[in-house]
Amino acid sequence: MARHIWMGAALLGAIAFATPILAHHSFAMFDIRQEVTVSGTVREFQWTNPHSWLQLNVVRDAATVEFSIELGSPNTMSRRGWRRTTFKPGDRVTVIMNPMRDGSPGGALISAIDAQGNRLTLR
Amino acid sequence: MKMLARLFFVSAMYLLTTGPASAASGLPDWSGVWELVGGTLFDRTTAEPPNARAGDPGARERPPYNAEWETKYLENIARVAIDRFPDPITGCGVPVGFPRVMQVVDGYEFVVTPAQTWILTENGPNVLRIYTDGRGHLGEDDIWPTYTGDSVGHWEGDTLVFTTVGLRGEDGTIVDRTGAVLSDQSRGTTRLRKREDGMLEAVITIEDPVALTRPWTVTKTYRRLAGDVRIMDYACAENNRNPVDPATGRTLTLDADGKPIDVDFREDGGD
Repeated sequence: MARHIWMGAALLGAIAFATPILAHHSFAMFDIRQEVTVSGTVREFQWTNPHSWLQLNVVRDAATVEFSIELGSPNTMSRRGWRRTTFKPGDRVTVIMNPMRDGSPGGALISAIDAQGNRLTLR
Repeated sequence: MKMLARLFFVSAMYLLTTGPASAASGLPDWSGVWELVGGTLFDRTTAEPPNARAGDPGARERPPYNAEWETKYLENIARVAIDRFPDPITGCGVPVGFPRVMQVVDGYEFVVTPAQTWILTENGPNVLRIYTDGRGHLGEDDIWPTYTGDSVGHWEGDTLVFTTVGLRGEDGTIVDRTGAVLSDQSRGTTRLRKREDGMLEAVITIEDPVALTRPWTVTKTYRRLAGDVRIMDYACAENNRNPVDPATGRTLTLDADGKPIDVDFREDGGD
């Protein structure tokens, strides 16, 4: 079941092979040929090194699934306009990301629209 | 007139005591926080495909490898594609090493003093110390292989020229995440200067009698960030949710509770 969680996601297809700005580890787990859009409710925003993470509760087939979405270092993110308060628990936000290759609930963030409608990007 | 003379004196003293190093020593002013331009693929002029980034499956560059090391590289490219390329920095705790230290993400500082220049990278963090006080490289009996090696240099006008030796070789001298590696006989000669357009430019020539058939020259550039930019902590082990599985070498992705979400590693088998 979990393998097919992406069946309901909006597949934007191969637009550009946008690569995550992850420095210290391989991003082979992410499918850089796919960009998907997910909307959900923020459970937690970890503004941390080496990478920040967004825990996003997404409703799929009447069930809530928690996604682990990886971002960049807070250092570079802050220089791109992000703040540790960009996402707050309970916010409704939309994320465009490279999904996990194996269909598990996670991905590497490309851009996001926060609860106020601001568009933020990492690249 | 007396007032003017006093003003001049005060201004001169200010520059000498608090101004950039250049005012007092004649050395260039490279102060500020800088950022690498372009991605972390070392030789972008030979990247295949042209816009490839280090880590993209199948991405490569064209180091002038001999046949034996080209074969090693092809094996590493295949490992990168399936996430089996061992990269020491993924585990957190070791320096990124030379020449990779010249092309990391996040901020850079280039600290020029009369006796040493320090290249400080926020990511890592890493320090490349370049001794410019006239000393040579460590002798054969006094040096041992390290990630960052031993760097000494001198000034040619406003250009810092330094050589780097004493590198670890293929288990630690990783050029980038395409899988390009160098031998422990590799050495670098770097010419670092501020260009007329304000960019910092490092022209790095790698020589490696074991791996390369000729010198490999690559140019990296850095732009100065505007505004009140400060270097912050980069703590690789703080919240590293991408550990390497020791059994398979695969990089895992953990959930907020520290459990792998990767289907092959989930306790429930992905069901």
